[in-house]
Amino acid sequence: MNKSILYIARRFGFYLIAAFAALTLNFIIPRLMPGDPASIIFARFKGKLKPEAIDAMRESFGLTNDPIITQYASYLKGILQGDLGISIAYFPEPVSEIIGGGLIWTIFLAGSSMVIAFLIGTTLGVIIAWNRTGKLDTILPPALAFFGAFPYFWLAMVVLYIFGFSMNWFPIGRAFGNEVNPGLNTPYLLSVLYHAFLPALTLVFVSLGGWMLSMRNTMISTLGSDYITFANAKGIPSRLIMLRYAARNAILPNLTGFGMALGFMLSGALLTEMIFSYPGQGFLLLQAVQSQDYPLMQGIFMTITLAVLGANWLVDIAILFFDPRTRR
Amino acid sequence: MNNKNNLQQNSIFTRWVSGIIENQKAFSGSCIILFFALVAIFVPFFINSPTDFLGTPLSPPSFEYIFGTNGQGQDVFAQTICGARQTLFVGFSAGILVVIIGALIGGIAGFYGGRIDDILSLLINVFLVMPGLPLMVILASWLPPTPGTLLGVLVLTGWAWNARIIRSQMMTFRNRDFVSAAIISGESNIRIIVVEIMPRMLSLLASAFIGASIYAIGAQVGLEFLGLGDISTVTWGTNLYWASNDLALLTESWWTFVPTGLSIAIVSFALTLINFGIDEVSNPRLISERIWRNKVPKELINHGITPVTSQNE
Amino acid sequence: MKKIISIFFILAVYFFASCENKTNRDLEGLIVYQENQISWTRNFEPLNPVSICRWPTRGGIYEPLYIYNPISTEWVPWLATNYEWKNDNRKLLFSIRTGVKWSDGREFSAYDVAYTLNLWKQFPALDTRNAWDYLQNVVAISDTLVEVDFKRVYVPGFEAIAGAYIVPKHIWSKLDDPLKFDNPDPVGTGPYTEVLRFNSQVWELGKNHNYWQKGKPHVEKLIFPTFSTNEQTTLALLSGNLDWAGAFIPAIQRIFVDKNPEHHHYWFRNTGYSTFLHTNTKDPILQDTNVRKAISYAINREQVVKVGMYNYTSPAHVTSLAGPMAKWHSPKINEKENWTAFNLEKANELLDDAGYKWKNKNERIDSNGSPLKFNIIVVSGWSDWVRSAQVISQNLKKVGIQATVRTYDFGAWIARMQQGNFQMAVGWADKGATPYNFFKSMMFSEYVKPLGETADINWHRFGIKEADFLIKEFEQTSDENKIKNIIYKLQHLFIEHAPGIPLFAELSWAECNSKYFTNFPSAENPYGPLSVNEQPSFIFTLLNIKKR
Repeated sequence: MNKSILYIARRFGFYLIAAFAALTLNFIIPRLMPGDPASIIFARFKGKLKPEAIDAMRESFGLTNDPIITQYASYLKGILQGDLGISIAYFPEPVSEIIGGGLIWTIFLAGSSMVIAFLIGTTLGVIIAWNRTGKLDTILPPALAFFGAFPYFWLAMVVLYIFGFSMNWFPIGRAFGNEVNPGLNTPYLLSVLYHAFLPALTLVFVSLGGWMLSMRNTMISTLGSDYITFANAKGIPSRLIMLRYAARNAILPNLTGFGMALGFMLSGALLTEMIFSYPGQGFLLLQAVQSQDYPLMQGIFMTITLAVLGANWLVDIAILFFDPRTRR
Repeated sequence: MNNKNNLQQNSIFTRWVSGIIENQKAFSGSCIILFFALVAIFVPFFINSPTDFLGTPLSPPSFEYIFGTNGQGQDVFAQTICGARQTLFVGFSAGILVVIIGALIGGIAGFYGGRIDDILSLLINVFLVMPGLPLMVILASWLPPTPGTLLGVLVLTGWAWNARIIRSQMMTFRNRDFVSAAIISGESNIRIIVVEIMPRMLSLLASAFIGASIYAIGAQVGLEFLGLGDISTVTWGTNLYWASNDLALLTESWWTFVPTGLSIAIVSFALTLINFGIDEVSNPRLISERIWRNKVPKELINHGITPVTSQNE
Repeated sequence: MKKIISIFFILAVYFFASCENKTNRDLEGLIVYQENQISWTRNFEPLNPVSICRWPTRGGIYEPLYIYNPISTEWVPWLATNYEWKNDNRKLLFSIRTGVKWSDGREFSAYDVAYTLNLWKQFPALDTRNAWDYLQNVVAISDTLVEVDFKRVYVPGFEAIAGAYIVPKHIWSKLDDPLKFDNPDPVGTGPYTEVLRFNSQVWELGKNHNYWQKGKPHVEKLIFPTFSTNEQTTLALLSGNLDWAGAFIPAIQRIFVDKNPEHHHYWFRNTGYSTFLHTNTKDPILQDTNVRKAISYAINREQVVKVGMYNYTSPAHVTSLAGPMAKWHSPKINEKENWTAFNLEKANELLDDAGYKWKNKNERIDSNGSPLKFNIIVVSGWSDWVRSAQVISQNLKKVGIQATVRTYDFGAWIARMQQGNFQMAVGWADKGATPYNFFKSMMFSEYVKPLGETADINWHRFGIKEADFLIKEFEQTSDENKIKNIIYKLQHLFIEHAPGIPLFAELSWAECNSKYFTNFPSAENPYGPLSVNEQPSFIFTLLNIKKR
């Protein structure tokens, strides 16, 4: 048990280093660019600001001419206190507040579609690996691979076009309707599900293939192992072999992939939101880019990174329980 | 010693190439890629300039413009073809760079082990867990929008995955007898890595290259679609950017985004096919079992257990 | 398998469709789109220039003393009823309207006006126009009289003072830091002041029952759902879920108007000024007036407008003034050189005379033998301007000039502009109620900064003594005839020196769907601008829209 704690602590240490690297990158990138960030920020007011006004505003944005180390220290200190600066496009709202509003939708969208895709994909993978003479195994992998080959946003655009624009079956954009009031009431929750349906569907659709293929391939390798042959020879029912012996072992790589896929899924969700105008982090990021809201952009990058790191750590802990080998 | 080595390498190489050609998936995939590459290189010399403003904006496909015109009256056919140039060039260059960097860092980490491995693995893992898209968006929005920037961003966010795979493969080779023999016979480490081990990883490197290229093409098109590329150039990504900028969905001008989208899909699918083929050549178990049906007794098949044939190992 | 999927799909559609009642729209409220947002933040602070407040805070909730009507080009008395210059234009007196109330019931008075203007002095960040550079003192003499004393004579200062959004003293005087105030519950004098509902996706602004214009506004409330893409906005306009919008819509006739010509309207009004091809006059080649004119002659503006601007606008006048600003045109304008007309011969002639010879029939070279090569820098993502620059680049090729379009992120672009690190660029020019601001930004030599130093204005770095003299003269006078004469002379200077190249007239985007509401302005009934983006003059429209 002590070893497990050590393992968890070590992983935690690693994620700390990764987070630190991301934060530093986040700090350095804007400062590597030509021109100082302050004048770029103020330039967006198209000369409406006079120099005196700019100097006064500089301070309220926390932009100073201190040496870089001092700036870095106050940047790290600000983050520890949850202070990500002030947004430009939403001035004078603090970045943390704006992000808080969007993060919930992203987690909801990415999280639920990921779980759904994982469950369906893994199950399909087990089935087609077991039954490799069936039609499914010849059709499904290439078909899913073909759909997976389309640029994701393009597929989403087409889906939105068909079901949103042409057929008018699903709403185009927003997380819930105008008529409902947020809260724990049925119309609101239904409206939320209705609005999330298409984005989630496309997300599940494109990520299904990956889960299925990796499950199929590891399942096939596992099925080739001696202990399966042995179990088979012993006359254990094949259903039992499939689920208890093969699938249980084959799922481990998929589980490890879960943490990694979370990053991809979040990225996917970001693109989905941009296409479906879904008010999560992704759309926020796009808007921040379009309106040159650099503090907001950096804040979003940071929260997403931290979210991915945190989730990976949780997955590490989960694997510890599923796979006794890591405990050694 | 040297002769024997060459012979062995040759046989690995030829076996591999013939495997690819025999493998239907890999072969058809390669043909598609070759076709696209040739078209991208040569056809632009014979068609309209993709940037000239020719016809009525948003006219549907006709004899004059077989893919119609876009929102600015430019020839969509020409744009689709010329767009392939930069997109494929940047995509494949990124693929190569990713593999080189991945092989370098992963190879060194896996071969040397110890402290070096600790540090490099940490680097690899840090880049692995960092979410790619937001990082790409941030980088691309701060840097000037040039193909070089795109390439840099793609490589920076894409190399870690390959480095990790190559590292673990390297570690297994490191303990093989032929490596120990080479070390004892006094060959330098670099020579061992480059001459002894890398050729044996050819299929892995090839599939890494293809995977990285798929990723690079997709990510590049995505970034450009968001307007983070240089929108004054003609690429598949900017074609889609302009299509959405001109409200292609609302104007129901499907021809402005379907050709480009399909091209991207076909190219990535062809690359995926090649990768399937490589996987199957190096790991025959993965082949869909319908192919085995005639060779293997029926009773065996339904149990889901892989028949082991002589070809394996 | 297919069956299962399709059944699942149909069931899902059925299920959701039955839950949400799509046709149910609130007909009491006018649905307005002004800003691209995905979630609303509750900010109604009008003073801070960097504060991103909700529309219509500036004009609809808080009002100024005078409102400039950009169509009649007149200043309409609003919270003031009259103004008067005294003491050789060193003193400005405003008579403040009586009978105006803040929406919380308190009396509005001259003291609020004086307080607001003094707030600028106290917090320079709020003084966007740098008014305290020329102001000496602002005091309320009585409830209805405000006296503004000037340090030096500066007549154009009227625009800044008359256009100031007046805030209630009894609220602002209690704030710790007005720079970080987001004013969630606004108290204003405007026609709409009550926030009825506010969540991240939609909010509603109800009418001010105390509004000083009796019987107005006609519409009970304004509704603001989030719209975040052009597609969404256009679709909502088409489906009747959006009544009034200021969006750029390509091919608008086909996409929007033709679908229902009776109710679907747009009016892309000429603002009077032009979009520019800025030329860096410190560039060794572009410093030559004749080269700049040659470039201008070589540009096929009809094509630029057609390709880059969807044929919505028109080629620029040689003074860059058009539409409502055309009334300032000098009477001698037709005798002057018209270098915005497309004329390849003239362009070639000027370039030949300037000593740039043809080489290989496809490019011109200078005396050192190096080809004539320029970059045109444009903000990446500003697609209409990128397109325009591409056309210009193709046009210039015909006279042997290689112009490469380079797109930069806005930050990089503006940094280059301000530091003079560019050759040519597509950009905007300064504007105002009179052409004075425009000419000052184009030719005032005190604005010219050396290359490498940040210039807020006059990026092309051009200045001449004659213009300086005229501009200073303008700043001293309030005499109508004198003003006109100065502007005429400035135009002649502009035409002579071509400090910049006007491309096409600037437009303001505006659409409406008159299915549920009526009385929108149009080119035929131009009582005010249709565009919600024209702050604060959209208020003329806001006060006139009626429920059908």
